[in-house]
Amino acid sequence: MVIKDSYRDGLSSNGAPLIEIKHLCKSYNGKSVLDNVNLSVTRGSILGLLGPNGAGKTTLISILTGVIGKDSGNITVNGLDPDRELGRIQSIGSYVPQTLAFYPRLSACENLEYFGSLWGLKGKKLKERMEFCIDVGSMQSFANKRVDKFSGGMKRRLNLAIGLLNEPEILYLDEPTVGVDAQSRNYILETIRKINRERKTTIIYTSHYMDEIEQVSDDIAVIDHGKIILHDGKQAILTRTEAVFISVGQMGEAAVKELQHLEGIEVEKEGVHVTRDGRFSEKMAAVFTVFQDHGVWVKNVVFGHGTLEELFLKLTNRRLRDED
Amino acid sequence: MSKIRYTLKKEFLLIIRDIHAVTVLFVMPAVFIMIMSLAMRDLFELHNTVHIDVLTVNRDEGKESKVFLKAIEELRTFKFHLLDKDIATEKVKEQMHSRDFKFALVIEENFSASVGKKGGGADQKPLELLVDPSVNVQTQLVLKSALDGKLAKQKADAFIDSIGGFLDSAGIDRKKLQEAEESRIKVSYVHKGGRYVKFPSAVQQSVPAWLVFSMFFIVIPISNTFISERGQGTLMRLKSMNVSQFSLILGKMVPYLLINAIQVVIMIAIGVHVVPLFGGTALTLGVSLAGLILIAATVSFNAISLALLIASVARTTEQATTIGGVLNIIFGALGGIMVPKFVMPGFMQDLANLSPMSWGLEGFLDIFLRSGGVSDVLPESLALFIFGAIMLTLTVVLLRRQREVQ
Repeated sequence: MVIKDSYRDGLSSNGAPLIEIKHLCKSYNGKSVLDNVNLSVTRGSILGLLGPNGAGKTTLISILTGVIGKDSGNITVNGLDPDRELGRIQSIGSYVPQTLAFYPRLSACENLEYFGSLWGLKGKKLKERMEFCIDVGSMQSFANKRVDKFSGGMKRRLNLAIGLLNEPEILYLDEPTVGVDAQSRNYILETIRKINRERKTTIIYTSHYMDEIEQVSDDIAVIDHGKIILHDGKQAILTRTEAVFISVGQMGEAAVKELQHLEGIEVEKEGVHVTRDGRFSEKMAAVFTVFQDHGVWVKNVVFGHGTLEELFLKLTNRRLRDED
Repeated sequence: MSKIRYTLKKEFLLIIRDIHAVTVLFVMPAVFIMIMSLAMRDLFELHNTVHIDVLTVNRDEGKESKVFLKAIEELRTFKFHLLDKDIATEKVKEQMHSRDFKFALVIEENFSASVGKKGGGADQKPLELLVDPSVNVQTQLVLKSALDGKLAKQKADAFIDSIGGFLDSAGIDRKKLQEAEESRIKVSYVHKGGRYVKFPSAVQQSVPAWLVFSMFFIVIPISNTFISERGQGTLMRLKSMNVSQFSLILGKMVPYLLINAIQVVIMIAIGVHVVPLFGGTALTLGVSLAGLILIAATVSFNAISLALLIASVARTTEQATTIGGVLNIIFGALGGIMVPKFVMPGFMQDLANLSPMSWGLEGFLDIFLRSGGVSDVLPESLALFIFGAIMLTLTVVLLRRQREVQ
């Protein structure tokens, strides 16, 4: 299922896109990983990037951050072309990998100092940024302790804090809350929201946790098999309906048979799905006529998918992806 | 500057806090140098202060046996420990085992008589040498040759004395004739550039050998850090921070060059100051500091390049440690680290030239033993540099390919 451009109307902001990706393709050893990806990210927004394992999320972020090159397509970041101005693009972005990308035998301070120096920070400025990051990560009490003694939540906070050293305009967060307790997870999500709100940082956020994406994102994109199959504003996605589900009490065989003869109707044990298209009203009238003729009791009519997870599973199929 | 400073600081902290790396890079070679310098002292220093102890039974009543023992002892290589003349040969063998003697010499009753006898007699063996089977053939030959030589000389002197009257009447100087029977071989040590150096010692073999060996063990910390950086996504993070591949490799090269340099200083200091405290001889340093720096730098460059290549090929630290460890041991065994090259047969000495450790060792020996300078270590340094550059190029190619298939 490919979402038509008309669905983009619900995107979070009407501002100019900070990142624009057109017809992006990437393959490894002849296997397509990104296939004609088109995506735009609005300045100052948080884009939640969802996709099953191996869908192409990390590859997309790796290309955007300049870690790997693309095969074809066009990308502009803040109006800059990565083929020509990768250094400038990298200097305004920061990538927080899903792995704990720092040195466990160093302390939090030593890690921040090292990564800060690589950003060209030194002296007073480096100290200021380190203090800010320690504060953001709420690491004051253990900043000088070796990281390999940290809990999972503390490590995740440090991982994020390192990504904030250069005051990035764009923050790429690849599953930043994997393996942490509820408190640390909540803290990280709040921090991300705060950074976005106070500093207008544009954030691309990938996660397997739908509730996180729902909680922090302004816009949501779903990627599967290297293609963007959905991209829209969060509210628009959560309320959009491709079908209406009419839940009913008991249905007799005669009613089921009559409904199955109707076009654009999917019959289930607990109700029927009516597809929204040009003949939607006509179909709804026909369905309710059948219900009336056979005395079927209508319990509820549901518009939309209810939860993001439900939509995600519907879009990406329920089959396990680690068997691919 | 700030980047280099903090990169150096990071790498140093990582090594200092890695007990395995510290053990392999500093403790292991220090222990090896101490053990080998002391254990191999006898093998390397026969000419100087070390004696071969020989249990001795002198059953001969005549004066010739005493002259014989005195003549041998004047060689300053053997020390005779006299037992009672009536002791049975079986008891002598027991004492060899109980007192840990490798040799026993039995001078038979007929010794003086046999020396005086013209031409001697093959059926009358005046000397019996008892040897522990664990003694190497070379050491046996040293003692046997000394005994044979002195016995032959003593017989010749006795013969000249016996025909003294004839020689006097023929106007032949008896003393000159006896002196002519002394060894005709003059031994000289050959040093590069004709410069004189002190005699080679165990410490002068052990320090460069185990130093080169330990420098190549830099593969352990380098691969640990590098593979962890790759596995934990730190390498990805660094690449996203516009850190070039050149900077990444340089960021490994410079700190580990310094760590290798610290190894050189510490191991030399152990050779100079610590080994003598335990009864070994002190390491002498040669005359060329520039030559020492050149060979140390190129050995280090080669070792780091090999380590980076292994780290880029291996998928896990276990793989890197195994590949690196095995390669180092093979290079070490082949290259004259574990067994000095001069005791190897010819074809093995040729094979040794395949090992970069051998090139490094020869370079250090040029400096420490042969009083060589920059020009003397240039061939080895050049070979180490070229081989290192090839490995580094391969590493860069591999890393680029890996980056594209991540």
